[in-house]
Amino acid sequence: MAHDLFERRVLFVVGKGGVGKSTVAALLAVALAERGKRVLLAQMGPGRRLGEVLGVAEATDAPAEVFRGLCFLTIDGESALSEYLGLVLPVKRVQRMVVSSKLYRHFVAAAPGLKELMTVGKIWYEEQLESGRGRKWDAIVVDAPATGHSLQYLRMPAAAHEAFGPGLVRREARKVLDLLEDPARTAVCPVTTAEEMPVNETHEMYAQLCDQLKMPLGVLFVNRVHTAPLAPDDVPTAPAGASSLVVDVLRCGREEAGWAAINAHYLRRLRAAVPMPTVELPFLCCEEFGLPEVRRLLGHAERQLSTLAAERAH
Amino acid sequence: MLEALVRDHRVVICVGSGGVGKTTTAAAIALWGAERGRHAVVLTIDPARRLADSLGVGALGDEPRAVDPAVLARHGVVARGTLAAMMLDQKGAWDRLVARHAPSDEVRERILRNRFYLNLSQSFAGSYEYMAIEQLCVLVESGAYDLIVLDTPPTKHALDFFEAPDRIREFLDRRLVRWLVMPYLSRGWVAAKAMNRTAGFLFRKLEEATGIAALAEISDFFSAMSGMFDAFSARTETIHAILRAPSTAFVLVTGPEEQVLTEAEFFSARMHVLRMPLKGVVFNRVHEEFPADPATFAAGTVVHGDEAKVDAALADAGVATPHASWLASNFVDYQLLARGEALRMEQFRRGLPRRTPFVTVPNFDSDLHDVAGLTRMHRFLFGDIAPASPGKVAAASPGHEPTRASTTNQHPPTLRRRAVKGRKSR
Repeated sequence: MAHDLFERRVLFVVGKGGVGKSTVAALLAVALAERGKRVLLAQMGPGRRLGEVLGVAEATDAPAEVFRGLCFLTIDGESALSEYLGLVLPVKRVQRMVVSSKLYRHFVAAAPGLKELMTVGKIWYEEQLESGRGRKWDAIVVDAPATGHSLQYLRMPAAAHEAFGPGLVRREARKVLDLLEDPARTAVCPVTTAEEMPVNETHEMYAQLCDQLKMPLGVLFVNRVHTAPLAPDDVPTAPAGASSLVVDVLRCGREEAGWAAINAHYLRRLRAAVPMPTVELPFLCCEEFGLPEVRRLLGHAERQLSTLAAERAH
Repeated sequence: MLEALVRDHRVVICVGSGGVGKTTTAAAIALWGAERGRHAVVLTIDPARRLADSLGVGALGDEPRAVDPAVLARHGVVARGTLAAMMLDQKGAWDRLVARHAPSDEVRERILRNRFYLNLSQSFAGSYEYMAIEQLCVLVESGAYDLIVLDTPPTKHALDFFEAPDRIREFLDRRLVRWLVMPYLSRGWVAAKAMNRTAGFLFRKLEEATGIAALAEISDFFSAMSGMFDAFSARTETIHAILRAPSTAFVLVTGPEEQVLTEAEFFSARMHVLRMPLKGVVFNRVHEEFPADPATFAAGTVVHGDEAKVDAALADAGVATPHASWLASNFVDYQLLARGEALRMEQFRRGLPRRTPFVTVPNFDSDLHDVAGLTRMHRFLFGDIAPASPGKVAAASPGHEPTRASTTNQHPPTLRRRAVKGRKSR
């Protein structure tokens, strides 16, 4: 599973808020671009989270180039819907009339799941887009919103397929579903940290991905893993009269050893509960986090991915 | 410090993006209130199981459950007031909303069995966010509590929470329902077209797209839902009154990482526009910067290359450990992290309205998941105010005192990100 991760066309990165989905999405996109692929890194829903990692502005209308081979796009359900209407309603004047009507705005604001459906639909659309000599993108990495939201997005095509009778919506939903469920083209990569809440949530998400969504799984990323050569209790206490420097050095040591112990505990639980190929990304001590740090993490990930591939080959 | 926040308000709403310690902060605030004689309740969303277990309310349900004073006493907390906790169940939020507002049993059943509803109720706009506010109203109206702490859903679209009542009201708006459904039901397409060309056109498209069966389901759904509008509309008035009352305070919980702070900045600006200003900001899991003596560390701060000096200081103090060099390099790494955090927090703080109370909670050596952990937070949230039970805050050593406010200005801003921001503004 791990060794062909970079052969898939669409990688969905999902996970609880604040665990580092954008970091992992950026890491995967850089890895693909380094393999010479034309990569689209797509952020589902609004916000600046990926822009912040990449150091670029939001790109809502058209993909913006981050560097050669890597483009970035923010997908917003509302603009995806008007883009879609542009495809089904070829007459521009009619399209404008629909989009600018009050009824349409009410409908878009209120209609359940429509924006989510359109967001996933847009990813399908980009996947099959042709340009010059073949597909426009070799690979698409999708940075999904926080867990509850991201599974809701991925659930929409199936819900629409179920809810609507034979017709355009159902046919379109089927095409999107075919992409989501195709193990040759798609993989879901969950991200978590090795702490209580994220691990619980990852466990639940894993069950839903397997049982309900039936989406092909890729690699599980465990982000911000602390390590220490000793247990927190083995960090010496400061001798009487020690300088504030020594007190602080030992406090920092206890802090790091403490988090290392917590991470080790939850990593054991995670590996027992979620039987997926797993990559651990170390907690980086850095002044700020951007593309150079993503590349550092990618180095760690590549080593583990080749080990996983070698294990599989045996 | 945030003591005024609790003293002067009846409702405290913790907001912020996911994974920043909102649940823990909300629980710590409620516990502090209970210690000081308040009848406090914390309404949480999917709390850490260990936290619920630790409070002895493992099976949190739809009703507030009182925390046994004996459980608190075991951790050295003597509450002069009371503490209760309840958990909002994410699943079935809309089912409960329908059950609460449906004008009759028959309508309720019709909605709940509708195929359109069954497939899509998980994704109705803002339903879960709405339920949290709805529950807040129930608690306020019950009059049983004088401190209600709400932990909001970890939404990426942070403002969904405040806009949810309006969005749902709009969704149920009769005018909308009339436009969408009634022409189809009563007078058919001809009438719809005559009434509004756009509507007629859209209906034709909808019909092509969906097939008539699905549209009939949708029509039935909307007409059943329309009966709920009056009850719901009255409710949103109450909600607005509570959210904007002077006795309600919003606290932004955040962390010092770039991505989290970017969202927090956006959030605080929007809150200001909505005229629901923040009455406090909590920074969780902050790494502290060591105030280095320039006599030893020429840069006035500990930087890479200082490992040997730190190592030597440990040896001089007689600290016997085979891991001295790890301790030294870990310390230097932490200083790097702390400097970045300090600069970002300072920048964030400058963007806040003046005099917004602002506290930092350090990155403890463990995750806080029990009553003892919550009391460890109190000192950083509320300052050294004499607690009801002396000695219980002793867990935090003096070395834990945040010092960054006084040290942040010593260092020139050197972050790459600042350079990026500068470029953009030109």
